[in-house]
Amino acid sequence: MRTALAIARKELAVAFTTPWAYAVFTAMAALSSFFFVSLLEQFQQVQALAREHGWSRLPPDSVVYRNLTDGVVVQLWGVVLIITLFVAPFLSMRLFAEEKRQKTFALLLTTPVRPVDIVLGKYLGGLGLIFVTLGLTLVFPVLLSVVGSGTNGPALEWPTVLLGYGAVLLWGATCMAVGLFISALTESQMLAAFLTFTVLLPWMLLRGVALSTAEPLRSFLNYLSFDTQLQGMIQGVLEVQALVFFASVILFSLLLTHRAVEAQRYA
Amino acid sequence: MPITENPIIEVRNLTRRYRDRVAIQDLSFTVGEGEILGLLGPNGAGKSTTMKILTGFLPPSEGSAKVAGFDVSTHPMEVKRRIGYLPETPPLYPELTVHGYLTFVAALKQLPGRAVRAEVERVAGLTGVSDVLGRVLQNLSKGFQQRVGIAQALLGSPPVLILDEPTEGLDPAQRAELRALIRSLAGRHTVLLSTHILPEVTVTCQTVLILHQGRVVAHEAIDTLAKSHGQAENASLEEVFIKLTAA
Repeated sequence: MRTALAIARKELAVAFTTPWAYAVFTAMAALSSFFFVSLLEQFQQVQALAREHGWSRLPPDSVVYRNLTDGVVVQLWGVVLIITLFVAPFLSMRLFAEEKRQKTFALLLTTPVRPVDIVLGKYLGGLGLIFVTLGLTLVFPVLLSVVGSGTNGPALEWPTVLLGYGAVLLWGATCMAVGLFISALTESQMLAAFLTFTVLLPWMLLRGVALSTAEPLRSFLNYLSFDTQLQGMIQGVLEVQALVFFASVILFSLLLTHRAVEAQRYA
Repeated sequence: MPITENPIIEVRNLTRRYRDRVAIQDLSFTVGEGEILGLLGPNGAGKSTTMKILTGFLPPSEGSAKVAGFDVSTHPMEVKRRIGYLPETPPLYPELTVHGYLTFVAALKQLPGRAVRAEVERVAGLTGVSDVLGRVLQNLSKGFQQRVGIAQALLGSPPVLILDEPTEGLDPAQRAELRALIRSLAGRHTVLLSTHILPEVTVTCQTVLILHQGRVVAHEAIDTLAKSHGQAENASLEEVFIKLTAA
């Protein structure tokens, strides 16, 4: 375990000296604040309409705009999920690919480090990176609860906000696990990023495919879709099924990575 | 072939194929404890492959290799604990400082936490990189990078050192220093080094192993090499080498 932590620490030290990580942080901060501002504007518009005509005369789906939690933060988490899908491959791509290209992989494989420690260390380093990236978005709910005020009680329902944020972190952890495995298969960072993206995106969009199929395939595809699994938690409903689903995807990816690292010796 | 007492490296009928190409074929040799063995051979003779198998980086296709009594295939961890390895390309992370890098390798080798600082300073002193400990690896010259690679192999004083072309990229003065360093390790460490600079071998090594097309063509103490291959006693290593690898 000590070597795993040393590898994770090295991963973070290297990442924070390269411009890549900062580019990703900037992208996340810029995109999420752009969407945050437009979501706020939308929220204000609906609120203004409601004051003029009353909630009962607005379309039924505008009910989510009655409070800041559902009207802004939950929507924002939904957007952050999509941004994560686009930026995570750029964080995970170098984890193994760079070691192979630089020939430093030989160092990991010829020192007395077990493959499981290599995989765990790499994954922990990757988790550190994605959590820092996602940590930037916590500023928005904090801002809302400091500046905003509700008609009765605090502006935000923190349990809902935090559970939604938990879903965002879980999704980030899943993206990194899949990216880690793909990075272990190639020397090329570009290829690793591209392949990770082409695996994650259709998987996310599986729900759309499910719509045009018949039962029982439909339920099956729906169950496999990242999007379906995340919906409940994002809205503040803790679902054991979703937790199990993502834990399995992560564990399975790590097992595959472990196989890939071991198989390296037989390349 | 010299008979070695207390062999620390034992290679038996070792064969390695890459798909259809045979890199080394039926290789057998032993290296005694404290010996310095020079591995010679033209490019593509199988020097690096042999070293990669001994370090547990590549599995053999056939045959066995043992280091300190442990088989590389069945007890890779025990073998790796006893080996310091410098690959052909020094495995450096360009973004790290020399100190950060050596500390990281010390952690990979699981040296006890308290000893790391002193150990990093010791190997830095031995390889002459003490003055650049704070600098970032990618800004160092090739010579310094090579020396950091050697420092990394020396961390934790492993009983066996496997150095793949350690003098690559060094200037003549640095080469002389490195030769002196390697000679000073004799007795306490067993060193297996590969090179294609022949005079290097004559001054550093006690024994040479010449590979040609994946086979052993000579394994001899330096002093007796010329004689046993039918050359004049004062024939240089170069002459013997050319004769043996001419086929």
